Amino acid sequence: MSGWTQFKAILRKDLIRELRTRDMLVSMILFVLLAMIIFHYAFTVKEGADLTYFTGGMLWVTFIFAMLLGLNRSFAQEKDEHCLDGLLLCPVDRVTIFFAKTVGNLVFLLIIQAVAVPVFALFFVQRSFLGDLLPFLAVLLLADIGICSLGTLLATISMNTRSRDLLLPILLLPLLVPLLIAATGATTLVFAEGIGFGSVVARLLVLLGFDAIFLVAAWGTYDFAIGE
Amino acid sequence: MKKLLSAPVLFAAAGILLVVGVVLAFWYSPIDASSMGFSQKIFYYHVPIAAAALVAYGVAFVAAILYLRSQDLKWDRLGYVSVRIGLLFSILVMATGMIWGKASWGVWWAWEPRLTTYLLACFLYAAYWVLRSVVDEEQRRATYAAVFAIIAFIDVPITYFATRLMPSGLHPVLSGLAGSMAVSFGICMLGMLTLMTALIKRDYEIELIKDRVTDLKTSLGG
Repeated sequence: MSGWTQFKAILRKDLIRELRTRDMLVSMILFVLLAMIIFHYAFTVKEGADLTYFTGGMLWVTFIFAMLLGLNRSFAQEKDEHCLDGLLLCPVDRVTIFFAKTVGNLVFLLIIQAVAVPVFALFFVQRSFLGDLLPFLAVLLLADIGICSLGTLLATISMNTRSRDLLLPILLLPLLVPLLIAATGATTLVFAEGIGFGSVVARLLVLLGFDAIFLVAAWGTYDFAIGE
Repeated sequence: MKKLLSAPVLFAAAGILLVVGVVLAFWYSPIDASSMGFSQKIFYYHVPIAAAALVAYGVAFVAAILYLRSQDLKWDRLGYVSVRIGLLFSILVMATGMIWGKASWGVWWAWEPRLTTYLLACFLYAAYWVLRSVVDEEQRRATYAAVFAIIAFIDVPITYFATRLMPSGLHPVLSGLAGSMAVSFGICMLGMLTLMTALIKRDYEIELIKDRVTDLKTSLGG
């Protein structure tokens, strides 16, 4: 079986499992929508307050925490039901497992965003940003790749420890700070000012660099993280 | 040569260099002519401490790679003590940075790229510590710690670049020092790096002794 076939088989397995139960996706979408309502009341300090310059922060904090929930849950299932043990017994390259898991998590995050972003725009964005959709989608995709690649690596480590759920945010959040700085800044610029690619190019480059570096780092270390 | 580089000798050398450095910084180097004035004196300690923290994290990074390649626990011990010393120096960087910030900018804390990077480095390496404490099996703990030390060290410069995207121009940039200032600074830098090396070496040796004691207890059936 070639690496590509193995990749597709693992990815298909993860997607089918989730789409059958929908446990994780439903919880994550509900969490994201609830977070938006809480943010609205947390930041509306006076009648008619303009929240446009908080939009990037609100959106990415919500996505990061939703992803932490999802990562913990997906790996807990794998561990508790000994699915990962079975996977490790198969003659599959560990790196293939990493990429399949990362892409699986990326698909889940994109599904959540497809629901959450229009609702978010309806609630908080007062100007039409359709003209700036392309830079926004670029930010979304690049930030998602970074979150999912590092998230997958660290969730693999944390699920084999005593603290599990508690450990993942402690490991992941400080590492994601540069990504969050770039993504929140770029998203806010798109929503608030909408001045095309030119205004967010520096932030896109940081995201691109982050993704490239950590994909390579995760590729190089995943073998050790997942163990025997 | 081995005796010359022993921890007590290194501690003594660091002590002498740092005392000479402080004497030169206060009595030989002139008061800074720019707006920083006398408060610039803390720079002779602040910058070398910052450099020592980064070097300690660098040692942890190299030790992590060596551990993953060899699976030899001595590299894990070196990485562990280096992170501990790096964390100690990072806290000192922030403490001295805050004192300097209060004197120069009038505030104890500013979200300035360099200071923020060290703050995040503290959180990253504190997470390394937490990670070690929640894995029971020795070899697995060492492997996870090594993977995280590699990722964390790569993240530090990216964090610095990302924080520069935020508006802040407070931090003074080091650009060419006058002769007497450069001498004092060089001695302080050498002293601080020697102190860092001595601390890592001492702690590393203690860790190796602890391992030997554990091995002896095991072999005696305890």
